[in-house]
Amino acid sequence: MKKHHFSWSGLYLTIVFIILYAPIVYLVVYSFSAGTTMEKYHGFSLRHYADLFADTRMITIVFNTLIVALLAALIATIVGTLGALAIKETRGKVRNSLLSLNNVLMVSPDVIIGASFLIFFTMLGIRLGFVSVLLSHIAFCIPIVVLMVLPKLNELSPTLVDAAYDLGASRWQALSQVILPAITPGIGAGFFMVLTYSLDDFAVTFFVTGNGFSTLSVEIYSRARQGINLEINALSALMLLASLLLVGGYYLISKHGGRRHRVIAVKEGDAQ
Amino acid sequence: MTENIMEFRHVGKQYDDNVVLRDINFKIEAGKFYTLLGPSGSGKTTILRLIAGFDQPTSGEIYFAGQEINDVPANRRQVNTVFQDYALFPHMNVAENVAFGLQIKGVKKSEIKRRVDEALQLVQLAGYGAREITAMSGGQRQRVAIARAIVNEPQVLLLDEALSALDHKLRVQMQTELRQLQRKLGITFIFVTHDQEEALAMSDQIMIINDGKIQQSGTPVDIYDEPLNHFVADFIGESNIVPGIMKKDYLVAINGQDFKCVDAGMRPNERVEVVIRPEDLDITTVEQGQLVGTVDTQLFRGVDYQITVHDVRDHVWKINSIHKTTVGARVGISFDPEDIHVMRYNETEADFDARLDSYEEGE
Amino acid sequence: MMRQKTLFIVPYLLWIVLFVLAPLILIFYQSLYNINGQFTLDNYTTYLTSGVYLKMTFNSVWYAFLITLVTLVISYPTAYVLNRLHNKQFWLLLVILPTWINLLLKTYAFIGLFSRTGSINQFLRFVGLGSHQLLFTDASFMFVAAYIEIPFMVLPIFNSLAEINPSLINASKDLGASQWQTFTKVIWPLSMPGVKAGIQAVFIPSLSLFMITRLIGGNRVITLGTAIEEHFLTTQNWGMGSTIGVVLIIAMFIVMFATGEAKQKGGHTR
Repeated sequence: MKKHHFSWSGLYLTIVFIILYAPIVYLVVYSFSAGTTMEKYHGFSLRHYADLFADTRMITIVFNTLIVALLAALIATIVGTLGALAIKETRGKVRNSLLSLNNVLMVSPDVIIGASFLIFFTMLGIRLGFVSVLLSHIAFCIPIVVLMVLPKLNELSPTLVDAAYDLGASRWQALSQVILPAITPGIGAGFFMVLTYSLDDFAVTFFVTGNGFSTLSVEIYSRARQGINLEINALSALMLLASLLLVGGYYLISKHGGRRHRVIAVKEGDAQ
Repeated sequence: MTENIMEFRHVGKQYDDNVVLRDINFKIEAGKFYTLLGPSGSGKTTILRLIAGFDQPTSGEIYFAGQEINDVPANRRQVNTVFQDYALFPHMNVAENVAFGLQIKGVKKSEIKRRVDEALQLVQLAGYGAREITAMSGGQRQRVAIARAIVNEPQVLLLDEALSALDHKLRVQMQTELRQLQRKLGITFIFVTHDQEEALAMSDQIMIINDGKIQQSGTPVDIYDEPLNHFVADFIGESNIVPGIMKKDYLVAINGQDFKCVDAGMRPNERVEVVIRPEDLDITTVEQGQLVGTVDTQLFRGVDYQITVHDVRDHVWKINSIHKTTVGARVGISFDPEDIHVMRYNETEADFDARLDSYEEGE
Repeated sequence: MMRQKTLFIVPYLLWIVLFVLAPLILIFYQSLYNINGQFTLDNYTTYLTSGVYLKMTFNSVWYAFLITLVTLVISYPTAYVLNRLHNKQFWLLLVILPTWINLLLKTYAFIGLFSRTGSINQFLRFVGLGSHQLLFTDASFMFVAAYIEIPFMVLPIFNSLAEINPSLINASKDLGASQWQTFTKVIWPLSMPGVKAGIQAVFIPSLSLFMITRLIGGNRVITLGTAIEEHFLTTQNWGMGSTIGVVLIIAMFIVMFATGEAKQKGGHTR
């Protein structure tokens, strides 16, 4: 009876996992096909990888994407950490309103963020391109960093800081030698998290990117609208590898801090 | 006479390679208050889970009202449980919690209301029905949990460390209430605890569990006065346990000194353990003492003083006395033959009972 | 000391003002201008009176509802089964892992899978069902959307199931409830916060999807998201686009309010 029940649920789970992973496996498998379509496998070949590395437009875009992601993650991590430190100092109503404002961009649909930023940049006369994309990415990354760092700050025992003062530390010393080391796992996890957010973003970038500048997601979109191109498969295999490395790095960092649940949950904003 | 409502026959339980219970045998009479007493990890909670039906034994049989119930699932047993963490449903209020079992059984609405009110009355929570669980204190939650169980009129009520989450004062109060409730309802209570004071205070019968086995069972007085082995003597109350030699019937040597005692039925010169409770030792003058020693420490505990004395052979004795003494003073220690209890090594409960019967009849 | 604190908060406050408050205000502001830059309430009148926009909104809500429902029906049993596994955290991680893979790529994969001569049609022909137009249909759009959203539904449900104290389930059995009764009376109500969080995480994005709609659903305006994208980037009618954006924001608040009630009840009792 019990065994029987188990096999049904096992079967169900197997089907769900097949559905979840089949498209991904499918992409990667065809990246090694000698053919040009995702219909029939024509034998092993690396020609699409060769095409990819010869595609200078694509290489430029990869660099653009990486530069935007690294810069956005770095700046957002600094501003977000400062924000978390500032929020930590507040109490009651002020704190609640700051947290609510912080969450506005977390819950807003990407189209809304994209459209409103487009209006914003146009009004300020900022030319659409690298700067507008970078600013947008920084903007939607900051609240994520805050949400990753704040729990670490809240976990800190208040007597820890008192102890630092008691032992003669200045405010700056208490911050740099006691608080920051203690919340480093949160900051590191936040950095990795927003890095992936920036790398993955499509909708916001699509609105504010203009003509001259493109990121990977936007480029894939415009190529995918033309139909199948196995160069994209090759690219996706490489990106898959990169994401796995990022996930690995991220878990290595966040494992020290332990807060897995919260951290995974934050990724929900990515749903569109 | 009362009948047996439940019986364990050679019950064993194993999780993977980990043997939790081995060859458990006991009978439970209807209408009594039983306590399963033992340290954590002793297997007492596993016995409770087997009775409730949350687990199945790996060997042996469990009988309930004459029927084997090994494979009867928990929801079809006439047993209810008060959980250690109360396990009250957070999405229901007090009355809904209490009504849960009756609703499942499909009892009529009006009847449910009457019985829920009655049960809440019984645990002194009349009028609390509409409260949310989160609005109740620890002690009140405890009562809700009891009401939720007894409203189903089970033949056996299981209580798993039910008082351990309460503070000391409330715990003592609940001990009295539980005992009264059990008498009022006239059903069997099986109470699991690691607290020996709780067990002694409430039970008709205590089963002492350790290492997956029943070490000894009996009334609180029997177990306190005549512990079967070192574990029981040490676990129940405070005690001085010293090695000795049974010279002959009614004469035991402790540290080379002979004492009269009331135990018999052992081989001459058998190596034994001797138990003397600290409250049975009195401090007297050096002349009157059967043992002579020097007071090492003295702690005032409210009801009495806890004193340690080392004797001339450097053995340290624990003494509880209502009279004060002086640290460093030379004193005598006196006790009566009845205060000595002799335990044989590796004696089973059956052998122990038989031996007791043999010489008590002879007297 | 005070000055240092102030310095800390300056960049963060600047961000709030420039990138949180200003854009929100701007989208409301923009919705009050027509395509010729005149201040007017025309956009709202058009939205409310022309059947096109209302029908589109209704369709978008209907699709989002269906996507959410499909996702829930697939995800709840998944979360439930996952919770009973031995290495549940590891299996959960496997469910979460696809969310780390670029969304565009996952969608792109379906273009290949669903194409006229793609693998799904090959399979359908193989089992004798013949080939069908899969791409650019509502069904394929909803399937891909549900595929993308499953992890975001599984995760909160899994968490709320994992939080249920196992002794509550024992208590339910102890009080005579069968497995099914235990599920309906104890497990399901206690997992409601997770279900609501999941609905919130899936419904709002489903309303605003435009990338999947374009790639899988074809060149049709079927969600609020596609409408906004079209007005901003194709027809350049920002006023109307902002108006639909405001509608989307209102819809978002409605969903959040409707799914937020579970927490309210818990707080209410204290």
